[in-house]
Amino acid sequence: MLLVPCPYCGPMNAADLSYNGESHRRPDPKTCTPEEWRSYLYLRENPSGWLLENWYCSSGCRRHFKIERHTLTGELRAPVLPGRKPGATQGDMK
Amino acid sequence: MSHRLPAPLGEVIDRSSAISFTWNGKKLQGFEGDTIASALLANGEHILGRSMKYHRSRGVLTADFWDPNTTVQVDDEPNVCASHRRLADGMAVSAQNVWPSLKFDVKAANGLVGRFLTAGFYYKTFMKPAKLWPAYEHVLAKFAPGGSVDLDTPHGRYDKRYAHPDVVVAGGGPSGMAAALAAAEAGSSVVLVEHEHQLGGHLLWGSDDDRAAANELAAACAAAGVEILTNSTVAGRYEDNWISISQRSHPGVIERLIKARAKTLVVAAGTIERPYVFQGNDLPGVMTSGAVQRLIRMYGVKPGTRAVVFTANESGDSAVEALQSAGISIARVVDARSGEGITSASGSKSRVKRVTLSDGTTVECDLLVTAVGWTTPTSLLNMAGDRPGDDADAARFFPAGPPDNVLATGGMVGDGSRDELIAHGRSTGKLAAGRAAVVRHRLQAATARAAAVDGPEPDYPADERAPLERARHPELYRSTTHGIVDYSEDVSSKDLFSAAGEGFDSVELIKRFTTATMGPSQGKLETVNTVAVLAEARNESIAEVGTTVWRPPYAPISLGALAGRINEPTRVSVLQPWHEANGATPILAGQWVRPEHYGDPAAEVRNTRTNVGIIDVTPLGKLDLQGPDVPKLLNLLYTNKWTALPIGGVRYGLMCAEDGVVLDDGVTARLGEEHYLMTTTSSGAAKIWNWIEMWLQTEHPDWQVHVTPVTTGLTSINIAGPNSRELLGRLTADIDLDPAAFPYMNVRRGTIAGVQNCITWRIGFTGELSYEIHVPSGHAVHVWEQLLEQGADLGVEAFGLEAQRIMRLEKGHFIVGQDTDGLSKAPVTGLNPLLKLDKDDWAGMPEVAWTMESGDHPVIVACQPDNGSVVPEEAAQILRSGTTEIVGRVTSSRMSPTLNRSICLAQVTKEFAAPGTSLEVLLVSGERITATVQEHHAHFDPEGARLRG
Amino acid sequence: MVEITHLDASPDTRVPKASVRAADGTAAAATLGLNFASSEQRGDTLVVRIRPDEWYLLGDGAPAMADGLDLSGFASTVDISHSRTAVRLTGDRAADTLAKLGSADFSDHMTPNGAALGNGIAGVTCDIVRDDQRGVRSYLLLLDGSFITYFLGALHDAASEF
Repeated sequence: MLLVPCPYCGPMNAADLSYNGESHRRPDPKTCTPEEWRSYLYLRENPSGWLLENWYCSSGCRRHFKIERHTLTGELRAPVLPGRKPGATQGDMK
Repeated sequence: MSHRLPAPLGEVIDRSSAISFTWNGKKLQGFEGDTIASALLANGEHILGRSMKYHRSRGVLTADFWDPNTTVQVDDEPNVCASHRRLADGMAVSAQNVWPSLKFDVKAANGLVGRFLTAGFYYKTFMKPAKLWPAYEHVLAKFAPGGSVDLDTPHGRYDKRYAHPDVVVAGGGPSGMAAALAAAEAGSSVVLVEHEHQLGGHLLWGSDDDRAAANELAAACAAAGVEILTNSTVAGRYEDNWISISQRSHPGVIERLIKARAKTLVVAAGTIERPYVFQGNDLPGVMTSGAVQRLIRMYGVKPGTRAVVFTANESGDSAVEALQSAGISIARVVDARSGEGITSASGSKSRVKRVTLSDGTTVECDLLVTAVGWTTPTSLLNMAGDRPGDDADAARFFPAGPPDNVLATGGMVGDGSRDELIAHGRSTGKLAAGRAAVVRHRLQAATARAAAVDGPEPDYPADERAPLERARHPELYRSTTHGIVDYSEDVSSKDLFSAAGEGFDSVELIKRFTTATMGPSQGKLETVNTVAVLAEARNESIAEVGTTVWRPPYAPISLGALAGRINEPTRVSVLQPWHEANGATPILAGQWVRPEHYGDPAAEVRNTRTNVGIIDVTPLGKLDLQGPDVPKLLNLLYTNKWTALPIGGVRYGLMCAEDGVVLDDGVTARLGEEHYLMTTTSSGAAKIWNWIEMWLQTEHPDWQVHVTPVTTGLTSINIAGPNSRELLGRLTADIDLDPAAFPYMNVRRGTIAGVQNCITWRIGFTGELSYEIHVPSGHAVHVWEQLLEQGADLGVEAFGLEAQRIMRLEKGHFIVGQDTDGLSKAPVTGLNPLLKLDKDDWAGMPEVAWTMESGDHPVIVACQPDNGSVVPEEAAQILRSGTTEIVGRVTSSRMSPTLNRSICLAQVTKEFAAPGTSLEVLLVSGERITATVQEHHAHFDPEGARLRG
Repeated sequence: MVEITHLDASPDTRVPKASVRAADGTAAAATLGLNFASSEQRGDTLVVRIRPDEWYLLGDGAPAMADGLDLSGFASTVDISHSRTAVRLTGDRAADTLAKLGSADFSDHMTPNGAALGNGIAGVTCDIVRDDQRGVRSYLLLLDGSFITYFLGALHDAASEF
């Protein structure tokens, strides 16, 4: 089971967090087209490579954050707190 | 015991401790320390079962954990490996997969029609005609292998434990023990896992020196504080060294599942002796060189009287010595290293009798021993991402490059003397400990709650171990004849050739088509031979053909261990003891146990509408909201407007998900300037809390709002009925209940029955005049009892969930998730006035707007079956009259004690929604009835006069 | 030996509890202090910084301490005396008992005395504080009160082997 680097708690078992899928941008509900809104609801990039994804530390600090994960190698980069951009590679636990 | 050898042979048995057991009803004796198989062989019982498909007689092949031929029923436990399970006093052991008996097995007729039962026959036969499938199934079921399950068997105790060892060592042979000891000496916490009943590995059936060395190492491990788990296996290795261990040695527990986060994993699984493929290779009396040594030296059992040994290595030579020491005559030693070979064996149904050598000569014997080489059980390394490669010179696979936190040692990586294996184990253990120390430091430094680290992070040690040499070994997989490749699945080399010929020629396909390697040993005995035969068929090398993917579990694991203690959390309100004592029929609603009724829900409805009723609605979700930006949050989550809600006001709200589908509903009260209390449905409480946190943290971190769940802290009691105001009035002095002072859809705080800080809402799910009081739970029992005492003359009675559901249906109040579903966008509810499209933003607004524009959506309506005594089943379909076209369905349906007729809510397309429309309802019985759409959702008191009084 | 005590078993023994939410930089956060995931006994109140922006005040002094806080700059308090219930687990096998039911590392270097964390125990999310009593290993567990009957059963079952 993956060890997820929660930015507050530290490395946590993935089962103690909620995985909230690929990070995506919410369009402006007042001006978007139905295509844009439905793309936000249902379409994802699903890249082979680095993926920015949402995690929620539900059993621990209860903070939402993002992590970049490489979908082929499983490598993780440093977590990203809301409102900030992804940072540099962090030493892993292996 | 006719086949027991005299002491000092039989190292693990205790001749002073005799054990009685039965075999197929026959009384036999063995000794403490025997396995079931060794005891049976000691008594001359050498046939232990019949093979899965062809029902051929089978005997001991490997005499160890992986023996494929010795699966037996023990008491009420099926599928026990007799070559591993220790004998216990009073055991009733019987053969599986035989009918009527082991000796005379009618199903062995399969052997005669064998050519029609080739691999994959079940894909090709028993197909037509389809109407005979039940008959086919009935007959085939009798031929299915496996023991019998007694449904009355008491459930045994299985449990679970988590662990965080520095080093886990999988395998307790000389290298594994040495690694565990070295790691412990270097300061690591170590868990050593061994599937046999004692540590020692191959040293246990070696020389006296070997056994002494094994005992010494085992004792040193124990003294160094290594946690030793015998009769246990490392079942799987997952990301970041998450490791599952099946432990069958914990007292009081049949099997325990340990889930460990190890910093380093050492794999010392040794090697597994491979059977040889040739005609007759599954005759009883054919066994591996390891089997013979184990039986003679460890258990003091005579495996035969006259032996032929086919040897290509030292283990075969050692088997010859063991046979000699047991006084068994050796008819011939066939040495592959000199170019000799065997082509086939033959015998009667019950025993091998003759071996044919490759030079054409034949030799009589009743025991044929093979020593043709080793398979490396690399599964745990594969699970860690390694792709081992085949070394043709050594005739086995070796690891290629597991990740840094997984280290292989011992027979997995090479060969050597006992001391060389121990030395490699020691250097591996030291390396494992060094790397574990770095990971331990990192984990501690990165964890917020942990103690401060001592100094800087240590250097990550490089792997500078001196490697073990790989001994050359001839490649011996299949002779020149066809034989069994997978004993437990009854797959022969002929089956593999023909499957490859049919096009199933990739290793993954041939595995699934023939089921080769899919038995209990999961390929440990069979994979290399399967790949070798496929390589022959394809005229390629083993390396080119490749192997299949190894997945957990490494060895069979019981379902009980995976289930563990079955901890299923349930929740109760503080009033639950009262409910139980007063005849409540419990119902499980989500995680909550609630009273469904107290004997007569219809009477509860009538009493509530006539007098007054009280119901425990504690599971109602309650969220405390504080902060200056709460109105912004409410406007975002709900479809309607919240900015102007006054202090003391209550408003109903509907919540949508971003796709416009109804998510939840409830009432929210303003308790103070910046203090609100939101209610959600009971099943929505946790979901909506998470929903709110997600919006606040990810989209609006600038908003100042704090959310705290108080569902359990406030016990909620709904007091409903014409006498509710009178009753509540008797319990409170500081809440003014005058309707002008406390109108409908308002909230007040005050003291009830002497309990301060109670919150009182005037709302009305049931449609009666009602007050919902929220009482700090520690005092709720007192308040409940006071209500019953003070209301006795007012006719107060408790009512349950069922009565509440009837009453809300009488009032046409929909329930999210009952009358709406996963496709119901907000306009389905008909609450269009609450869908404020002129607000800036709310969750799901765009989709709701587009739905309202198109108008193309079903709606909830109230309807009444024309025959008021018929109560349609919920989810009964509504059809266009006389057709099978579905135009809706009944979502809620009850007999109304108030109206004395059946009432429903339903979803229908717009075309059928007009009041007065006749609906055709298809009952489960197939009968169609008619129902009429009502003008209002409420079947009773549509103006709400009772509610607002 | 493992001692399991439900501290809120009766109204007389109920532990007063308050939750304080406050962002870094507010007066309340400055007053309560502490690093995230740590705790400190102050008089008869155990102060726990259980989440980066949330403190628990546990004990007889909790209501007064909560009432006395300066909530400006946006901080809030909620009385959770009846929402969260407290169970104390004490004894040399207390960590081993928790290890039967929860996946966190309860060893001394990862969860030293005073440490605080959230973890699922027997399927129930708990707030856990290591709070040794007179040198004896002890853990305070706070959980949603509605689970208490089930939870005590699971704890006793796990502790039975010790």
